[in-house]
Amino acid sequence: MMSADVENGMVPSDATSEFLRRVYELPAGERLLSCIQCGMCSGSCPLGYAMEYTPRKMIAALRAGRIEDLYRSASVWLCVSCYNCTYRCPSGVPITDRLIGSLRGDMLSRGVGVPAELQAAFEKTTRYGNPFGESPKKRPDWTKEAGVDVRVLEEGDSAEVLWWVGCFPSYNKRNQRDTIALARILSALGVDFGIMGSDERCSGDIPCTSQGEEGLFFSLYEHNSDQLRNRKFKDLLVGDPHAYNAFKKEYPRLGTPLPVRHYTQYLAGWSPELRRVMKKELRAKVTYHDACCLGRRNAEYEAPRVLLESVPGLQLVEMPRNRENALCCGGGGGGNWLDSFIWQRTRVPLPMQRVQEAAKTGAQILAVSCPLEVPRFEDAVKTAGLEGRLGVRDVSDILAEALGLSGGPS
Amino acid sequence: MYVTNEADEHALEQALILKGRDGAHVVAISSGGDEARAALASAVAKGADEAYFAPVPFASRADNHHLAATLASVMKGAGYDLILTGVWASDQLDAGLGGLLAAELGLPYVGGLTSVSAPAESAKATVRKEFPGGRLGVMEVDLPAVLGIQSAENPPRYVPVSKVMQAKRSLQAQTIPPAASHEARVHLRKLTKPEAATRAEMISGSPEEVADRLVRILRERGVA
Repeated sequence: MMSADVENGMVPSDATSEFLRRVYELPAGERLLSCIQCGMCSGSCPLGYAMEYTPRKMIAALRAGRIEDLYRSASVWLCVSCYNCTYRCPSGVPITDRLIGSLRGDMLSRGVGVPAELQAAFEKTTRYGNPFGESPKKRPDWTKEAGVDVRVLEEGDSAEVLWWVGCFPSYNKRNQRDTIALARILSALGVDFGIMGSDERCSGDIPCTSQGEEGLFFSLYEHNSDQLRNRKFKDLLVGDPHAYNAFKKEYPRLGTPLPVRHYTQYLAGWSPELRRVMKKELRAKVTYHDACCLGRRNAEYEAPRVLLESVPGLQLVEMPRNRENALCCGGGGGGNWLDSFIWQRTRVPLPMQRVQEAAKTGAQILAVSCPLEVPRFEDAVKTAGLEGRLGVRDVSDILAEALGLSGGPS
Repeated sequence: MYVTNEADEHALEQALILKGRDGAHVVAISSGGDEARAALASAVAKGADEAYFAPVPFASRADNHHLAATLASVMKGAGYDLILTGVWASDQLDAGLGGLLAAELGLPYVGGLTSVSAPAESAKATVRKEFPGGRLGVMEVDLPAVLGIQSAENPPRYVPVSKVMQAKRSLQAQTIPPAASHEARVHLRKLTKPEAATRAEMISGSPEEVADRLVRILRERGVA
């Protein structure tokens, strides 16, 4: 392998060449220096305007052997892992996963410049397996309110569908409504499903892969892959696109291929059946926000739209920035924990911009398929003064209403 | 699941702050079952220079007198300027160790601290303690001293999991044998889950009726 300094005719500092050596060992890491400095990444980054070092400049700094400049800059922590840059890069540089992820990993292990809020989320996830610091025992507590039977699969048990619930859907009060909606839909369809209860831990994607905490990711991977191996299932169902990405991309890389499907993909397969039993009309204009981890990162744009269009009375309208051009909610790449850190440097929160785009379409409902987006957009709706005009609802919640499954425990 | 006592995490953080500021040499000591070694690995990964482990069987965990004697055996004459302990333990809500340790060592003790300043070569440390009502006490304490840390000057630092794993693999903790000569003064009789208490009885009626009933109950129980 040609070393970075030879390739570029420059002599990088030791720290820079060490860093590049580590990146080169990762899948597609060697593409980092195929950058042609076109600036597509900087222009397409929703927060590029606030970055002292945009991805293009970061690569230029590495070529000049000046990684220390990047350690001193907050730019690395402004990335919200929206994948716009990676998606558009004409040279196929894995900017988000390798450049940002590895730089963050470097800063974490050197203990320099890591925002305290993110460290707190890591600490809680290390200790308790979720970023809230909640007890793992409480993970399945939501099932008590579900009004339908939700089986907890113990080791050795089997089910057609193993539903990986996730941290936000398990613990966050507002998300639990959508979790219960999905439980009721699965139950109404007669699906043989079960969850892992207290044995489930954070999938590792949100706090780790592009955030640099590879060690934490690996320890979560070890726990989760062991737990999954001890249960039999045909489909692994997830509600969180970040978990979807982790199971689809990262777990196989480490030796655990998984038959994972996002719940919108799974339910889209049932759409003829759903269409037949959806009785309740939902007369509303709805616009759908593409989650970065489902859309740009995994090319699933249709499943959620198929489901929404199957709801009687529902009119689906598009925002100007949709599908691969969708604007990020700002919650990825640790952004959910860094809202104030990012706000101090940008002053225009991404979720606020996005709800304004949604409202401009004339839609009454902003439909989402990622649990982080519900609280993020709901807060933004309040700050943007759109309360009463725009509601934020998960696709599962909309489907449950059309199926007559909403409301208190049945 | 083993979780390090929060106040102890703060004590360690304060020690590491002193290391960064004044070049202190930090020795981490943990006690308990085997899982407490994980806390030492984490301390070393964060920057502690040495690690000691005092094994304590489950049955004698409540005996802080014995633990203080055990820890004092390695601390006596070892030349430490400061011994930082978490001000209390979150499992037993026990805040005894710091004071008992100071008594064993014949050193001054101040607890409930939120900052410690101890410049190198100084014979005194300046400590801050928060009092109720929003008052802040600034005190000087002669060194060496035992301090009970309530919270460090900044939140405990995060250390990446891979570093902790590395430290775990290469951890060389010296074992502190239990103090033999010490007579156990706390005896564990039994451990049970909390028993469900009987229900409260709500007394209704006019104030006079309620008072009469209350007096009767107190007499019956022999309280009044």
